[in-house]
Amino acid sequence: MGMSLGMKWGHRLGLVAMLLLASPLGAAGFQARDAVPAPALVARDLAGVERTLADYRGKVVLLNFWATWCPPCRREMPSMERLRVKMQGRPLEILALDSAEPVEDVKAFLAIMKLGFPILLDPDGVITKNWKVFGLPTSFLIDAQGRIRYSLSGPVEWDEGEALQIVESLLAELPATHDKAGKAPNP
Amino acid sequence: MFITGFITGLFLVRRRMRVGLLAILLFMAGLAGPLGIAAAALPDDQRYPANGDRLLLWVSYERGRAPAEASGAEALAAAGVEVWSLDPTSSYFLPQLGHSMDAVPQEDVADWMRAALASGKQVTIYAVARAAVPVLRGLAALEPTQRAAICVMLMYPNIYREAEPLAEPDYLDFGSLEGMRIRILQPRRSAATPWLPGRVEALEMQGANVSSVILENLRENFWARETPTEFETIEGRRLDAILLREMESWGCR
Repeated sequence: MGMSLGMKWGHRLGLVAMLLLASPLGAAGFQARDAVPAPALVARDLAGVERTLADYRGKVVLLNFWATWCPPCRREMPSMERLRVKMQGRPLEILALDSAEPVEDVKAFLAIMKLGFPILLDPDGVITKNWKVFGLPTSFLIDAQGRIRYSLSGPVEWDEGEALQIVESLLAELPATHDKAGKAPNP
Repeated sequence: MFITGFITGLFLVRRRMRVGLLAILLFMAGLAGPLGIAAAALPDDQRYPANGDRLLLWVSYERGRAPAEASGAEALAAAGVEVWSLDPTSSYFLPQLGHSMDAVPQEDVADWMRAALASGKQVTIYAVARAAVPVLRGLAALEPTQRAAICVMLMYPNIYREAEPLAEPDYLDFGSLEGMRIRILQPRRSAATPWLPGRVEALEMQGANVSSVILENLRENFWARETPTEFETIEGRRLDAILLREMESWGCR
């Protein structure tokens, strides 16, 4: 059966539209939250320094629960690093909290994958339980007032699409003390 | 496909015939009873006969029976433990999704266990992940004496009604699990590991006697990972030995 040139292009455009609609970018699965205060978080980093969420008040925080044995966690990590580089100088902090595994495993993993954001440790899983994290990776986006605004169960490409839009929307709520290049405005 | 074709065909016949056919269909539906309430039947299982006095009912999870599970069942049978292996997604034509397990008829599972008990062998039932749900429901449907006669082993059981970030987990209510002995096998490298005490407690609250063991250096479904570690490959090849060890340590002799 013959098909006109217009029909052929129509079919192709339709297919492209279907593929775009089916793209994971449009369906990351972020869940908007009622801006409730985040649970307490006190954890040590790899240098043994104690960090709390309160240390980052005034910044948007991406808190990511992960583990070295979790393939989707490992897959999304490079995109978190790209996001960090992209957002340098802007009030965004990325914290990756390793859930319930020995510090040696984390160190071995970081010897292979160089990451520029802090890695926090939860060797006994207590923080994981306090935050009611049931699957890995699970991420939370916390606004500058320390309130959870979004959660996500599963991996995403953090430096593009919906994830980046959400990060930008939270940064846009902050007073304009930093421009997109990370420079403070002239007085 | 057949149903779609049939319905399309219905619209092609003349109106009077359509009405007649619909009447016949409705009558047949009335005879068959409400959809989804089929009479209980033994599920379609794969059997690995053995002459010993133990019988293991092995229920795979939603992704089906893995080659390592089939090999494990064969090895157990060679060691004298008879195995009846059930792949629920295949037996009930269910999508390969965790919650498909919730649709497995509990009466079928209960009848399957009754048939196993009727063999006169010591029966152990082993289920993986969400397959714990139809197994526990089936067990709850048994008479207390039948239930008490069966050993239960659950590999990282998913028994949540709901588990959402930032919210307390909500566990399923299986009815009475009084008198049941349940052993949970929990791979260490699992997001569910920190939640092991909660799942133990949830089952104990329903009357079961629960113990657990952590399987070190292993991830969930380690016998069927796409990129297994060397250790997972080794352990995946000796599922039979792992199950036998746990059966014996849990008194399922």
